[in-house]
Amino acid sequence: MGTGFPSIMKTAIAVANMEWRLEWRQGHQLASVGLFAVASVYVAFQAADRETAAGAWTAMLWLVYLFSGFTAVGRLFDRERSATRQYLQWAIHPMGLILGKLTHAILTTTALTALVLAAFVLFLGWPSGLETASKPGLLILSAWLGGFSMTTTLVFVTAMASQIQSGNGALGAVLGLPLLLPQLILVTRLTRGALDGTPWGMLGELPLFLAALSAGTSVIACILFPYIWRA
Amino acid sequence: MNHWNRLWKFGSLLLLAYVILRGFSTPLQPGLVEAEPNSLSAGTQDISFVAVGQPFLRPGEGMEAFELILKSGTALLKTELTSVEAHRVSATIEVPTTLPSPALDAYLFTPSAGTLFLGNAFFVEDAEKGPLPSHLTASIPQESEPHLGFSFPYQPNIMESIRNLLWHVPMWFAMFFVMGIGFVASLAQLRTGNVNWDHRAEAAVRTGLVFGILGLITGSLWARWTWGAWWVSDPQLNGALVTVLLYSGYMILRAAMGDDDRVGRLSAVYNVFAFVMLVILLMVLPRYTESLHPGKDGNPGFNSYDLDNSLRAVFYPAVIGWGALCYWIYTLRLRMNRIEYRLLTQ
Repeated sequence: MGTGFPSIMKTAIAVANMEWRLEWRQGHQLASVGLFAVASVYVAFQAADRETAAGAWTAMLWLVYLFSGFTAVGRLFDRERSATRQYLQWAIHPMGLILGKLTHAILTTTALTALVLAAFVLFLGWPSGLETASKPGLLILSAWLGGFSMTTTLVFVTAMASQIQSGNGALGAVLGLPLLLPQLILVTRLTRGALDGTPWGMLGELPLFLAALSAGTSVIACILFPYIWRA
Repeated sequence: MNHWNRLWKFGSLLLLAYVILRGFSTPLQPGLVEAEPNSLSAGTQDISFVAVGQPFLRPGEGMEAFELILKSGTALLKTELTSVEAHRVSATIEVPTTLPSPALDAYLFTPSAGTLFLGNAFFVEDAEKGPLPSHLTASIPQESEPHLGFSFPYQPNIMESIRNLLWHVPMWFAMFFVMGIGFVASLAQLRTGNVNWDHRAEAAVRTGLVFGILGLITGSLWARWTWGAWWVSDPQLNGALVTVLLYSGYMILRAAMGDDDRVGRLSAVYNVFAFVMLVILLMVLPRYTESLHPGKDGNPGFNSYDLDNSLRAVFYPAVIGWGALCYWIYTLRLRMNRIEYRLLTQ
């Protein structure tokens, strides 16, 4: 159990690799997240029927995305409730574990971003009155950056909730939502701007804030994780 | 030691009694609120102003001591006062056909309340752009220093609600103060693992949460009066709400864990995270985004309120009084936590 930086990175890569393989071996879990996301978009489509204003479009996109994110990240530490956890506690550095889990979760959310956005455009089309998004690049960037910053916070909260024996499924969401509100406030504003063509001058700082906020939360999460993990 | 303990507690109550008495009994300086009619046209007309606050007409003062002047661009337009009452001034005015600017600002020169100002009081509808005729031009009269005695400053839109400054702002300060105690206690808890620090952190967050909610309620009342809505989407308000939700999450986390042994460490981790978010949300983000809330927009202090000496004389005691009361409640809660723990582990 090394504590140097290269050894931690090696551990992180190994953990991400392990997660990835287990994910493919138990394909139903990944598929269930995708199913949840597509089904939610379809419900939104049924209710909205292609007559959606940009505000409502953004709201639905982020609600679907948020709850898909909860299902995707919420089960990240499920395996570690058993004897595996004791083995990992003994065998590897906690920093390596959280970095590995984080990498895996971010890859999952990136795939989720693509899926949810594609399903949204396929079913709901663009908000009424728009031929396409005014800044498609920014829309994708905002969705990904929002997902990234959502993931960093959720990994932290899930790790904490997984320590609590009783009723942790709901607890992760309950603790996660207030922590996610600032990111969601920024990111919905950015998505809205990308859709209806708010000039860059008025949006310029938002991606920067979002990136800073997610960098900050992930650094604190990594520093605090060993305290959660220690038995 | 015991004497000192009693001293600061009763001192805080005395300070708060002073703040409440002074805060509600001090009169407001007069200010012009509204002008009638809304728009003017060329020719001779009657105009009047409604004021709030202390009456600007003191006993023994006559109408001739007052002067009302309207300002158009840089030119000064004279008026003839017809009556001055406690909260109302009336005058006649001859509006020329040419004016430098159709928007008129009003200045009322008073003998004891200083100069009252109302921006964009009137709009002249059919005015052509041109110089003001010289026979209608006024000269600036002698300005007098306000000498109304102890009174709070008049601020447009805020008016009498300026007294909320003595509740809303100190309550947030008090919340910051105990949340800071909680943060330090949680850091110490993580370092030492001593349950004593956990008692401190829990007591601090619980007390801070109460003051945070009080801050939200007083802020919401103030928003209704000055901005016209109970709640608006504003970086400062979002930050405040998220902060309160975050710390509610802390209480939920503790409740969900029950008497699990790890409750101290896990909630300390959460508390450190929450406090960093609080600093980002309430002290960093609002400063870099546009906000309706005063004291932001690049200027972190509360100077934008133009705290004058009369307000300071009540505001600073309010800050100390609420802060001390908050700390007192925290110590009581801490004692409860310790006793509960002792009963539980006996």
